[in-house]
Amino acid sequence: METADLSQHISRRFNEDLERVRTQMLEMGGFVEQQLARAILALVEGDSLMGEQVARDDLKVNTMELSLDEECSRILATRAPAAGDLRLIVAIIKGITDLERMGDECEKIGYLAARLATQERPADKYREVKHLGRIVQEMVRDSLDAFARMDPEAALRVARRDSLVDEEYEAIQRQSITFMMEDPRQIRRALDVMWAVRALERIGDHAKNICEYVVYMVHGKDIRHVSLDEAEISLGKSGAA
Amino acid sequence: MLLTAAAGVLLGLFLDQIYVGLILVVALTLGIQLRQLWLLDDWLRHRNFRTQPESDGLWGDIISLVSNLHRRKQFHKKRILNLFRELRRSTASMPDGVVAINAAHEIVWFNRKAGELLGLRRKTDFGIRIAGLLRSPKFSRYLEKADFNMGVLVHPHPGESICLEFQGVPYGEGQVFLLVRNVTRQNQLEVMRKDFIANASHELRSPLTVIAGYLEVLSTDPALVEQLREPVLEMRRQSERMTTILSDLLELSRLEATDEQVVGSAIDMPALFGALRKDVAARKLASPEILLQIETADDLLGDLGLVHSAILNLLDNALKYAPDSTEITLRWSADLTGGHCAVIDTGPGIASEHLPRLTERFYRVDPSRARATGGSGLGLAIVRHVMQRHGGELKIHSLQGQGSSFTCHFPPQRLIHHTVANISDTRYSSITQA
Repeated sequence: METADLSQHISRRFNEDLERVRTQMLEMGGFVEQQLARAILALVEGDSLMGEQVARDDLKVNTMELSLDEECSRILATRAPAAGDLRLIVAIIKGITDLERMGDECEKIGYLAARLATQERPADKYREVKHLGRIVQEMVRDSLDAFARMDPEAALRVARRDSLVDEEYEAIQRQSITFMMEDPRQIRRALDVMWAVRALERIGDHAKNICEYVVYMVHGKDIRHVSLDEAEISLGKSGAA
Repeated sequence: MLLTAAAGVLLGLFLDQIYVGLILVVALTLGIQLRQLWLLDDWLRHRNFRTQPESDGLWGDIISLVSNLHRRKQFHKKRILNLFRELRRSTASMPDGVVAINAAHEIVWFNRKAGELLGLRRKTDFGIRIAGLLRSPKFSRYLEKADFNMGVLVHPHPGESICLEFQGVPYGEGQVFLLVRNVTRQNQLEVMRKDFIANASHELRSPLTVIAGYLEVLSTDPALVEQLREPVLEMRRQSERMTTILSDLLELSRLEATDEQVVGSAIDMPALFGALRKDVAARKLASPEILLQIETADDLLGDLGLVHSAILNLLDNALKYAPDSTEITLRWSADLTGGHCAVIDTGPGIASEHLPRLTERFYRVDPSRARATGGSGLGLAIVRHVMQRHGGELKIHSLQGQGSSFTCHFPPQRLIHHTVANISDTRYSSITQA
């Protein structure tokens, strides 16, 4: 009787630990979302103060990653999780790395925003950048939602949107090249904008990675380096079997 | 029983063997009873309550009792179910969203409006921790602190203007009802109001500077007609007052612009006190003596400009409203609950009914004195905002006839402790000077 109580107690504590790191990871994701929103706002509004603030706040993201990493190692060492629990921990360890990189990209956008704020804003007021920013923001939000709900179908839907981001990126790149050819004095500014856009595109890639971890966490299938169609087929099979 | 026994005896007599007769009758009765029992069991097991098995005697009574019980149960069940449906329908039609979460902050239930506002899905989202779906750091802190006296404003999607207000209502053991309201419009209005005040005060400042400049020249002009001298002097005083009000309004709107905590740097409180005392002494001819009490060597981690303006405001108030107090004490002390910076006067004190409203903008204890003292009426509001930005609060104690104390409480993490070894000589000299 006593041992049963004890094991139940231990497993409850274990679940509690797992849930806590999961929630903490999602909270970290929430902070990164906020950083991203502020970085984009700083860029398109030309707000240098906010840009610098974003760059400074990246420290918080780094601290969160460190503490979560330590917590995950502690769980791995003391609880030796198996099966689904192990996959959850692995997904979290990978997920926080991606979130931290997203944070770094936000920091970069913040710096660039602060620098670009001192220069004249382009005639189109960054319409394309705003649009790309919105797509990327939605991707990050939906990928974290899929992680919270452990919903692999939603995750795959989000991952598919990455190609949209790539297309937008291409379009902005072509546009920038035209600007640079028209007026070589704009090259420096256009390059800075390009770097910021590149950072946004990278954030989209990281959001896609998080979606892949959701699939891994639920189905135990690694769909990295596999085309999404193949991934869907293989998941469909495992679902039917 | 007796009847059965008699029948058994009769049958026994008829067969010439009483025992055999008795046994036969008992076996028969038992058989009948067992059949009844089996029927009852079958009836209860298949819950076929519409048709009752035909029985009489004791079995019949039991069957009617059971079906009565069942009918009553059905009746209550229906009533409770109706009540429950009614409740669900009424919560669904509520204009505010409601989310019930348990002690682990997992979503237990939510109404339709909450689902719309937060993008929650029925069935799949039950049991998920709410902080996982609503990932605002501010919201997580609010849940963790579990201080539900106040609501919290959250932007669920960073970068969008949607603003939700959450108000927690704790119930049971650690469970919380979260009331959700869409306050996007109110929030936008609030932002507009703040912007308006900031812009208006900024715009008013330049014309006022021109007016004040000419008034100053006029008032010192010897060619001025004697009759006009007094009105011009009054105009000059009033324009100075307007300038103070405008600069206080500007400072307040700067403070309000963000609710983020300031980081700041180490502030040497004794030095700050000393500088403040010097400022005040240079300004006023006859002022009560200002005593400095430094009870700790700890430094304060904060924004020097903001803290300076807060203490100066308190000191100004003490000088203005308690001019006949014998002394004013500035005290800096620290304990486990944090650092305390107090301004204590021995003036007339403030009646207790005024205390809660004292930090409101333009609130006056005595409206008729507003002009005489020449303050802007914004001083304490500024102090309160400075304290909010430092994670602390302003506490006011006052007894009529005995004086008042205004204390700024700073949280413990804002104290920088000094061991004896690293207190430099200059620090000692500054304390002794003070």
